[in-house]
Amino acid sequence: MLKLSDVETSYGKIKALKGVSMEVPERSIVALLGANGAGKTTVLRTISGVVHPLNGTIELWGKRIDRVPAERIVGMGVAHVPEGRHVFAGLSVLENLKMGAYGRKDKSNIKGDLDRVTDYFPILGKRRSQPAGTLSGGEQQMLAISRALMARPKLLLLDEPSLGIAPKVITEIFSIIRTINVEEKTTILLVEQNAFLALAIAHYGATCSKLETSCFQAQLRSSSRVTR
Amino acid sequence: MTAFRLHHLLWLVPLLVVLVFLPSFTTTFITYLLSLICIYVIVALGINILTGYTGQMSVGHAGFLAIGAYTSARLITDLGAPFWVGMLVAGLASGIVGFLLGIPALRLSGAYLSTATLGFGLAVEQILQNMDSVSGGRAGLSVPKPSLAGFVLDDRSYFYFVLAVTIVMSLLALSILRSSVGRAFIALRDSEIAAQAMGISLARYKTLAFTMSAFYTGIAGALFASLVRFLAPENFNMWLSIDFLTMIVIGGLASVLGSVIGGIFMVTVPYVLGELQDLSFILMGAALLVVLLFMPGGISAFLSRLLDLVTGRTTAKDIEQHVAKPMGQLGRLPEQSQSANAPASGTDLLGVKES
Amino acid sequence: MIAQQMVSGLAAGSLYALTALGLVLIFKNTDVVNFAQGDFGMVAAFVALMAISQFKVPFVLATLVAIVTTAILAVVVDRLTIRPMKNASMLSLMIATLGVYMILHGVAGAIWGRDTKAFPSPLPSDPVSVNGVVIGQGHLWILAFGFIISAVLFVFFRYTTAGLAMRATAEDRMAARLMGVNVSRIFALTWGVSGALAAVAGILLAPLVYLSPNMMSDVLVKAYAAAVLGGFGSLPGAIVGGLFIGVAENLAGEFISTELRTTFAFVLIVVVLAVRPTGVFGRRIQAKV
Ligand SMILES: Nc1ncnc2c1ncn2[C@@H]1O[C@H](COP(=O)(O)OP(=O)(O)OP(=O)(O)O)[C@@H](O)[C@H]1O
Ligand SMILES: [Mg+2]
Repeated sequence: MLKLSDVETSYGKIKALKGVSMEVPERSIVALLGANGAGKTTVLRTISGVVHPLNGTIELWGKRIDRVPAERIVGMGVAHVPEGRHVFAGLSVLENLKMGAYGRKDKSNIKGDLDRVTDYFPILGKRRSQPAGTLSGGEQQMLAISRALMARPKLLLLDEPSLGIAPKVITEIFSIIRTINVEEKTTILLVEQNAFLALAIAHYGATCSKLETSCFQAQLRSSSRVTR
Repeated sequence: MTAFRLHHLLWLVPLLVVLVFLPSFTTTFITYLLSLICIYVIVALGINILTGYTGQMSVGHAGFLAIGAYTSARLITDLGAPFWVGMLVAGLASGIVGFLLGIPALRLSGAYLSTATLGFGLAVEQILQNMDSVSGGRAGLSVPKPSLAGFVLDDRSYFYFVLAVTIVMSLLALSILRSSVGRAFIALRDSEIAAQAMGISLARYKTLAFTMSAFYTGIAGALFASLVRFLAPENFNMWLSIDFLTMIVIGGLASVLGSVIGGIFMVTVPYVLGELQDLSFILMGAALLVVLLFMPGGISAFLSRLLDLVTGRTTAKDIEQHVAKPMGQLGRLPEQSQSANAPASGTDLLGVKES
Repeated sequence: MIAQQMVSGLAAGSLYALTALGLVLIFKNTDVVNFAQGDFGMVAAFVALMAISQFKVPFVLATLVAIVTTAILAVVVDRLTIRPMKNASMLSLMIATLGVYMILHGVAGAIWGRDTKAFPSPLPSDPVSVNGVVIGQGHLWILAFGFIISAVLFVFFRYTTAGLAMRATAEDRMAARLMGVNVSRIFALTWGVSGALAAVAGILLAPLVYLSPNMMSDVLVKAYAAAVLGGFGSLPGAIVGGLFIGVAENLAGEFISTELRTTFAFVLIVVVLAVRPTGVFGRRIQAKV
């Protein structure tokens, strides 16, 4: 569904990606692993259009998206949960979730989706009118994921959802990521430091490293689709 | 990084020659304007220390000018103090006020600081308007012709005196700003956190910048009083403060040469436009925007690059690059902006080599 | 006497608050401290006057024309001067608006002249007496409009999608983009709304003073102070700050000295800032590095 070919991205003079190629098959969970500074976040930012690649192409269902600005990518079915959560701290939980559905045309279904995401994370329902900034780190991560789900994405980009969160909550979040993949048929590209956790739920694993020019990708369990 | 190039000051040589000989050929009015330019240059140096080098925006420097002007005028008229004593005391008085204002300003930045300084300028104007004993009330305050060692100075000799003070103040500013003090200012401007981490005392250097800046402006105020020889509080209004800020941006922030050019610009343009006050407003505003958008480092940086080109130190392409790049961090020297991406550019400013 | 001072203080304060709201909106959403905010109001007053006296447009229509014109002007200013300076520091952005301020001032002076002009108002302005307290009706109108506009803004930000998107953008620009918010459209909206607010303030003030390019200078300065007092980032803070300064300076004028009221207001602010460097309602603003 998503295909990156020789993507090069830089911040000013700093080259962060030196030609990354990878594929994300539909309905799969792909775990993207790598050391600090390897460029994992940059891969996600390049996909979601926050930064644009210097060279290379990104295709979503065969359609080039590497020049589409971030605010239009979400309408194409890609939702990005950024590293560090980035919830709207001054807005209430409910308002954050509404922002997640900002670009949607089918306004009538939003109410139902609100109930659906709060079923995944009941705590958010209890905190709905509380400012997001007052939530705990784990709750904020849940909110960030739920907010992205409100866009009804086909592809969900998750950047280190375990960052700074207690092991017990991490387990909860990861099992729900799994559920989302199965029940909603959402494809997931997951960036993680914690390889053990990530590979436990992923169908494919890919590694990113500064030294290599591409992400090395391997199939883990499923044999339905093969990438290199 | 070349922080400073001496040959950039070559521009000043012909300027100086013109300044020295021009009064002999022209009217007293031109001489008056030349003196005014020098005074503005001193003010520009003062504001540049605070805003250009240290990154603290002041919209109230007319207040310091007023304090300097009235201190000196009062000392001369009431106590019969010699004019140069009045000038020094004016600088000190203004410097002390600057120090005091610098204390609450320590914790302020951005919009908060600009409001505090704006309020300071307005307050000085209003207080003077209401203290007839200082400002002479409705009638205003007349200041006698300056005299030095018993000789009353005519316009031309006064101009030479002002010029001499301006040169001394410029050289003083140059030497201070090139010392560790100046580097500390710049480090604070670029990142307060990083500077403090390097052991630069925020409190000491910020108040020092305020004090120095006020001292310069106070000296200029005294020179101004004896030049115009009539003071009214309304002359020290918010617009004057805005003019001051404008001139250093147009001339060039964090640059002594920029201060000189800014002073010349701010006196000459309104004079040339004369009655066309509105046009002068429009031109000044437009000049500000043009500099901000297209000429990083102001006119001085532009001229320096031009001179580099003429003397073959750089190529036309370099200039293009500089001109095309909209100004990022205000006050950053163009030379620095090349290394703007390097982490903690303050480190080499302080002479600490990164290993 | 005190009641009278309070009412005129609140009326003046409403004008400060309206202008301060525009300042804060722009700052929150686009990181710009806008010196030209007052002059947007001045331009609006002149446009309305021109529509009324030269083109014989009815008052209400003239007001609408002025508000729309000013909103567009504000958007154009943003597009031509602020947007191109993408990564500029707060200081350069501030100085850029100073340039806009000068240009608007000069252009207004060139078109409409520097001699003062009276502004007609269809609203009755003779003083009314409530329980022996004599109150200028002009002041009451200002208060009423100030209140209505604050209420409209409140509803806009709380209950509309555009309002929500504006608040989200102010909180986190990158995250807002990821939600599909077109940030540059939000910026335009912000400047437009702020321009309209300034226009309302200018037109409300116009009947009480004479029109001149300088007419909003005092209001701008006080609005600034109000915004700072309110924490430069909080809309309720701007309103409270504006009203507070209006009342404080009127009371100071009554009991301390009429001439020194501005000084008094600013001494107060410096004291407040010395205690709370981010204003009364302020959250800590993260320095842009
Ligand atoms: N905004 C930026 N400006 C300049 N350089 C950046 C920026 N963001 C990232 N980089 C650089 O790009 C490289 C890749 O960064 P990236 O954040 O993608 O790494 P990462 O794999 O996500 O690391 P981590 O595991 O620490 O999150 C790093 O060397 C980083 O310093
Ligand atoms: Mg990362």
